[in-house]
Amino acid sequence: MIPDFNQVGQAQQQSWQPEQNVPAVVFNNVNKNYGRIYALSGINLAISGGVTGVLGLNGAGKSTLFNILIGKIKPTSGDVRLFGTNPWKNPSPYSKVGFVPEHEKMHDWMTAFDFLVTFARIHGMTRAEAEIEANRVLEFVNLADVAHKEIGKFSKGMRQRVKIAHALVNDPQLIILDEPLQGCDPLARTTIMNVIRELGRMGRTVLVSSHILHEIERITEQIVLLHKGQILAIGNMHAIREKLDSVPHKISIGCPNPKSLAKDVIQLDGVYGVTLPNKDSLEIHTHHFGLIHDQLPSVIVNGKHVVHTIDNPDDDLESVIGYLTGGF
Amino acid sequence: MKPNNEVKAWSKADRKASAIAEFTLRQYKQKISTWVILGVSVVALMLLMLFYIDSMNQEIEAVDNDGDSFDSDGDGYPDGQERLYGTNEYSRDDNPGNFDPPIAPDDPSKWINEDDFEWDQITGNPEDYVGNDDDGDCLNANIPNSQKNQNDNTKLCDVEVSPNRFVPGYSVNADINVDEDPDEERYIKEAVHRAYVLGYGKMALVFIIGIFVPLFLATGLIRQEMTSGTMHFMIAKPIARGEIYLYRLLGYLGVAWPIALILVVISALITGFVGPGDSFFRFQDLRVWLAILIATWMAMLVYGALFSALGVMWKYGIILAIPFAAWELGMGFLSMGLPESPLLKLSVIGWCMAIIDSASIATWPELPTFTALGSWGGGGSGEFGIWGFSSSLPGSDVLDYIGSSPPFPGLAPMANVGVSILVLLIQVATIWLIAQSIFKGKEIE
Repeated sequence: MIPDFNQVGQAQQQSWQPEQNVPAVVFNNVNKNYGRIYALSGINLAISGGVTGVLGLNGAGKSTLFNILIGKIKPTSGDVRLFGTNPWKNPSPYSKVGFVPEHEKMHDWMTAFDFLVTFARIHGMTRAEAEIEANRVLEFVNLADVAHKEIGKFSKGMRQRVKIAHALVNDPQLIILDEPLQGCDPLARTTIMNVIRELGRMGRTVLVSSHILHEIERITEQIVLLHKGQILAIGNMHAIREKLDSVPHKISIGCPNPKSLAKDVIQLDGVYGVTLPNKDSLEIHTHHFGLIHDQLPSVIVNGKHVVHTIDNPDDDLESVIGYLTGGF
Repeated sequence: MKPNNEVKAWSKADRKASAIAEFTLRQYKQKISTWVILGVSVVALMLLMLFYIDSMNQEIEAVDNDGDSFDSDGDGYPDGQERLYGTNEYSRDDNPGNFDPPIAPDDPSKWINEDDFEWDQITGNPEDYVGNDDDGDCLNANIPNSQKNQNDNTKLCDVEVSPNRFVPGYSVNADINVDEDPDEERYIKEAVHRAYVLGYGKMALVFIIGIFVPLFLATGLIRQEMTSGTMHFMIAKPIARGEIYLYRLLGYLGVAWPIALILVVISALITGFVGPGDSFFRFQDLRVWLAILIATWMAMLVYGALFSALGVMWKYGIILAIPFAAWELGMGFLSMGLPESPLLKLSVIGWCMAIIDSASIATWPELPTFTALGSWGGGGSGEFGIWGFSSSLPGSDVLDYIGSSPPFPGLAPMANVGVSILVLLIQVATIWLIAQSIFKGKEIE
């Protein structure tokens, strides 16, 4: 038992090894309640490989789900497995996991490079290994040029990328990102989305949460839809979309002459009603959302209509959940 | 499982340890509060040092403790001189001037501080001290031998230092006019110096610095990270929470211990150069300062572990520290006033003080004899002395209060130091075990 003062060479692996041939993440009938408030109830989930979007409104239980998975909180009942190991009070599976917390606060006084080196060393790397690793992940999230600037001077998007980078220092098999796109500008969003897609292509299991449908759609097709602590829908985005197409939708069009546009639109297949809420807008009611969007450009061009805006007021997560729960 | 798995776990653990300890150190370094605490403690302790320097530079007036420089009968011969030659100090006609050849009267100042303590006899063994009638006013006095042997031993005109029967410490049983007029300057400066070193070490360093530095630096060690949310980065790493707590504690020590070191080194240098004595620097005191440093370090360690543990337990853990600090304050005073109290064994501060007490006995083995002689102060002449009713020399009562005996008198002083450090380490280990099990089971959101 001599301390490794020299700190050279590859760190030896500890005795924990992931179980073979088990999904990275397994939830088996997991419940979590705070007194009489149910944060999660009856979650059954098994995820392995690819990018999975966890969708839900604020308070749906996304963060609770992740916190249980990362061993920060204890499920009230049920069984959670991270690479076949229960993560509560057992940090060993985290050597295969990268976690990006939702919290904004970071160690602002550190440079991005030092921050990453520190966390790489907590994974058991030597200083030299950690520096190589820090440079690699900074390159990966496209922050190599500002590596030696203090995190406190970074923009929101850069901070999010440092957080993602810190979760990648150990080359994890599973990456969990809690609201990584929140508050970022469009450019940062695109960069982060590319990073997440790239991780998926590399064969990692990625869990990413969001409350904005479009964001998740741009990243992945595989989603878990959480609502009030329960899984509302799970599976391919297209399948859910198709299900949604059969329920009534509204399309709102802003134009100076809605009446003439209404005349053309009412001819289309799938439109069952048109209303004129005020003198410069038009609302189309349909059961076939996709179909209308396919036809609409040609109608506008052919009829030489002037259109300011096309808006899908129902196409947000809230409406989707509304349709799925039948309470629209 | 591979064979030398233990070695591997260890090498991996200390990489994590150095990573977190270094991180914590740098975190402290960039916080302004760390530097404020260092600055304030240096300034506060240096102000205290001014009192010491002032007292060391004070002129101490020589006092005629036995009053024998006075010429009672007005014949020009001080009483002491008349006693020495056996003439009657109350008779104008009976004086050494009648001798053949006549003896000239002494200057009265010769009879002030004329019978000092025998400094070379003040050793670790109180029985070594037998005193000596330097001025001869006991041996030559015109009184029967029974009066020259008031302490009823085999020797005339001597001093006995013997253990008290019921309370700890020693008392002096002396024959009349032996060591009755000690050198105040020499005794008081030495006593004040020792009392100051011990008192400053115990109260200013171990108690004030040892409690307040951890209070300000260690309370937020885990809690602040949990409140601000930055703890989420660390707890999602493959490292046990007990390890995080331990390694952050190491980082805290990397800041707190150098603060104590700086303060002790400055203080030791000042007292070493300014302190009384013939030598250029009081090298012997360095061992006491080392003990004070170790005691302060241990206090910082135990209190740091405890306060950060309270922070783990509860968001407002600092409130829990208040009754504890009150208890420790009481124990701090008890350790000096009533050092043999068994209650001290239940405190942190009691064991820290025991380190200093034990080391001071090892460094200054003559301390009990020295204190006892000062409390006796030469016995005086029984008159109302300049220091009040008691003939004690100033400094001896403070030294008696501040200096205590080791907790286990049966063991060697340095063994007492070892036992005290061991007990404190056990306290830290217990706190760590409890805190890590609380931290491990804590839901962090």
